[in-house]
Amino acid sequence: MRLRFLALGAFAIGSAVLLSACAPSASTAPAPDAKDDVTLKVWSWRTEDVEKYNKIFDVYEAAHPGVTVQFEAFQNTEYNQILTTGLAGSDGPDIPMVRAYGQLQPNIAAGQLEPIDGLVEGLEGIAPSVLAGAVGKEDGKTYAVPLATQTLQMFYNKDIFEQNDLSVPTTWSEFIELNDTLVTKEITPMALGAKDSWILPIFADIVGSAMYGGSAFETKVLDGSTTFEDPDYVASLQIVDDMQAYMTPDVVGVSYTDSQIQFTSGQAAQFPGGSFEIATFATQAPDLNIGSYQVPVPPNAVSDVPLSAGYADGNFAINSKSEKKDAAFELLNWLATPEFGQLVADELNQFSAIPGVTYANAAMQEAWDNYEQAQAPYLLLVDFRYGEPLGTAVLGEQIQKIFLGQTDAAGAAASLQTGVSQWFTPGK
Amino acid sequence: MSTLTRKQAAAPSAAERRLSPPRKKPRPTMGGFAASGFLWIYAAISISPLLLMVSNSLRTTQEMASDPLGLPSALNFASYQKAWVTASFETYFINSIVVTVGSVLLSTVVSLLAAYAFSRTKSKIFGVLEAVFLSGLMLPVYLAILPLFFLLDGLGMISNLWSLVLVYGALGIPFSTFVLTSFFRQLPLELDEAARLDGAGAFATFWRVHLPLVKPAIATVVVFRFVPVWNDFFYPLILIRDQSAYTLPVGITRFFGEYQTDWATLFAGLTLATIPLVLIFLVATKQIVSGLTAGMSK
Amino acid sequence: MKTMSVITPRRRRNIGIALTKKTGLVFVLPALVLFAVFIFYPLMTALSYSFYNWTGIVRGEFASFGNYVTLFTQLPYKTQIPNAFVHNVMLFAGAMLFQNTIGLGLATLLHRLKRFKRFFQTMFTLPYLVSPLVVGYLWSLMLSPLFGPVNFVLKSVGLDALAQPWLGNPSTAIWVVVFVTAWQWVGFPVLLYGAALGGIPEEINEAASLDGASPWQRFRDVTFPMLIPAIGTVSVLTFIGAMEAFPIPYALGGSMGSPAGATDVLSLLFYRTAFESGSSNAIGTSSAIATLLFLFIFGVSIFITWFMRRAERRLY
Repeated sequence: MRLRFLALGAFAIGSAVLLSACAPSASTAPAPDAKDDVTLKVWSWRTEDVEKYNKIFDVYEAAHPGVTVQFEAFQNTEYNQILTTGLAGSDGPDIPMVRAYGQLQPNIAAGQLEPIDGLVEGLEGIAPSVLAGAVGKEDGKTYAVPLATQTLQMFYNKDIFEQNDLSVPTTWSEFIELNDTLVTKEITPMALGAKDSWILPIFADIVGSAMYGGSAFETKVLDGSTTFEDPDYVASLQIVDDMQAYMTPDVVGVSYTDSQIQFTSGQAAQFPGGSFEIATFATQAPDLNIGSYQVPVPPNAVSDVPLSAGYADGNFAINSKSEKKDAAFELLNWLATPEFGQLVADELNQFSAIPGVTYANAAMQEAWDNYEQAQAPYLLLVDFRYGEPLGTAVLGEQIQKIFLGQTDAAGAAASLQTGVSQWFTPGK
Repeated sequence: MSTLTRKQAAAPSAAERRLSPPRKKPRPTMGGFAASGFLWIYAAISISPLLLMVSNSLRTTQEMASDPLGLPSALNFASYQKAWVTASFETYFINSIVVTVGSVLLSTVVSLLAAYAFSRTKSKIFGVLEAVFLSGLMLPVYLAILPLFFLLDGLGMISNLWSLVLVYGALGIPFSTFVLTSFFRQLPLELDEAARLDGAGAFATFWRVHLPLVKPAIATVVVFRFVPVWNDFFYPLILIRDQSAYTLPVGITRFFGEYQTDWATLFAGLTLATIPLVLIFLVATKQIVSGLTAGMSK
Repeated sequence: MKTMSVITPRRRRNIGIALTKKTGLVFVLPALVLFAVFIFYPLMTALSYSFYNWTGIVRGEFASFGNYVTLFTQLPYKTQIPNAFVHNVMLFAGAMLFQNTIGLGLATLLHRLKRFKRFFQTMFTLPYLVSPLVVGYLWSLMLSPLFGPVNFVLKSVGLDALAQPWLGNPSTAIWVVVFVTAWQWVGFPVLLYGAALGGIPEEINEAASLDGASPWQRFRDVTFPMLIPAIGTVSVLTFIGAMEAFPIPYALGGSMGSPAGATDVLSLLFYRTAFESGSSNAIGTSSAIATLLFLFIFGVSIFITWFMRRAERRLY
């Protein structure tokens, strides 16, 4: 027996040594571009938008004879691993859709993406907070063209509001009254899929961003003059706790898709969520009459106006291994034009990152106007996903614990601070 | 124990023979009712989620949301049509069949050869090899994906169904050699000697004498490899880029993303993906059971 | 009866040398090549990854045991590893309990059955045929507090108190994972135990009852010892399955092990670290997790096999 393991061990060590010689390298010299007919491969995680993207790229192909854009979409939840291996291998995309902010960094650090500063026109017009999602944390270079902005707000079912003589709340007491009325009428006020913890930090910013003060708090927590244990931040989490009264009992057992169906089937009156829901609601329940509003300012809040949190979602970058960089840059430039921005708005029902786009969909225009009025960052996603543990992951789990009665607002804030302190140094 | 074992060799006594007839006709007793009750109840627990899947595939999402347990109001196959057409299930089906059949065939053939050698040799090196193969059963599958990707990429085999056939074929070796070796070990050495006397070579002995005798084991190995390979989505997810080379489970994960709130279509897709395995199993139950029985008895 | 033990064969008593070493190697060669290229080589490479610092997909300097130290000293690993590990152990214990009570019970009842035997075997085995991802998804829908038929049925028969948010309550969620896993796999022990029971000659039991042995004594002294090899096989395979459990926990509780980490298991932790992390050293850390997991599974499997063999030997 011992001999056997010795042999096994020897084999293991031998191969380990052998293999250290041939680990993957990041950069290979790109081959010269083929001139005439080019096929550009675009990857994305938007499996639900394949047809729409094909339509959008038909517009580009029509204006650029000889160019074929091949759009391929992969399952969202597995996209990171597909992209990581795809960019490392030989059969990868020319233009990958990449994540924003922290989750983009591993690809940048590994040199898998091409810097685009000075090579793409139209980046100047993009809001700095949105463009920040496409910038390398270490070198400050821009690596991608932002695709969309997501805003976070409260959606509501207009028909339910009308039938019950309810109106959009403008003050905190109206907001509370509205929810209390819904409870007495035995309509679930809010649908929240608290079983899927990623939705919870979104919810926290929808009801609490104004409480802790949005951008002003962001500046302070980044330079180290305060932490997440700040009483204002704790108070915002206390609001999250209080809101549980307006959800289905045992909300932690409700999955995200359940909550969507709860809202679209008219079993709940409101849905706190991101603007990415608009497209889903539109396909799933085309007859549903939805509106959106910003949750009013709670008493003693830092901000005097309601805030809409937002973030950049999705970027288009260039694979540094692409053999068709010229053509890829040409396409990337188009992705930064208002023409493409408008197509994003019309076809994809998303808020384009490019300024000057208008929205035909009333619910979208409403949400966008709200956001334009007073915006704030979706703090944990924008600034606290640059290391492990992710800020969003920690808070998501902590809010579940709040709902389950295992911790309170102060405890959750303390855990969040401990978690991000693992990698985050203020002032850096 | 030892006294009992010795008695087993003796022929059944007259007393036993006298006792046995009444036992053959079991009277319905409380215990009997309880026993069959238990079997039926567990069968219901076992099968009801699957029946629900089929039944829900014939209903609409709104019906499911308002009445979780209702039966389909009419046989509405619209969602099947939607699933089949929009999700290009046809392509996925063919790919899955190619990959599953190819890899199970590959792993079974090479494992038969290896298992035969393991059972018919005594040298230390075979013991080592057998242990190494078995350790493959304990691999966390996710571990080796990156190196595997680079290897296949280097061979230019990404998006190629052959890469899946080879990988699954290799992954099947631990389990298959394990089961087959134990079967070959039960076959008496006299078989080999007799064949040798008839002038058969090593391969001829294996092919003509042993192979027919381990058929039940082959059935077991085939089915128990078929199921995980058919259902695996992880390797194709990473190794297959080209949608025309997708296998069914990857198609399904895409499907999950696309139709997560369109329950009717989702259930139809899940039902379609499950049917082939159920059919295969229904056909092969007899072989599997006899294969296992043969493997378990001396 | 004694052939189905998992780690390395031992009984070679009746087996002589029918093949020369050379011929034997020729027979093994195809499997060996396939195994070496597509399993052994990638595995060893992956193990070596855990000893380096990584920047995305680019390998950096040699880190020695640095990644392993990280696992036990830094958040989130130092709290999540013990938490996840406990759940893996619960999964193993729960599945063993289910298989060796309900599974063995079903097998025993089936063994006596004359009619419907194949029918029941098929019923019990059907869940095994369904993809674990689909199984997890089906059950999470069945147990949904809003649209789930399970609570609906419980309420309609007056058992409102039992209508739990099964997957939303940390104290029940992990048991749901255990149950669903066992539910899917129970057909396997039923088949295996059934086969083992079929291998026990009827005469032994009859002789024992003639000797005045009660049914319990017959089970303890006759049936059970004969089942030990099958139990050993089931134990090892259950152990490996429980330690590597991924699709069912993933489908039931998501990659974070909802609610609040109550269904987190080691494979999920590996998955999150490798594919959902914001750290650029994801490959280094995740490979270290996988390596530890592999070593642990390997060690314990060898131990279980050794233990079962000893038990078997003592009984004969």
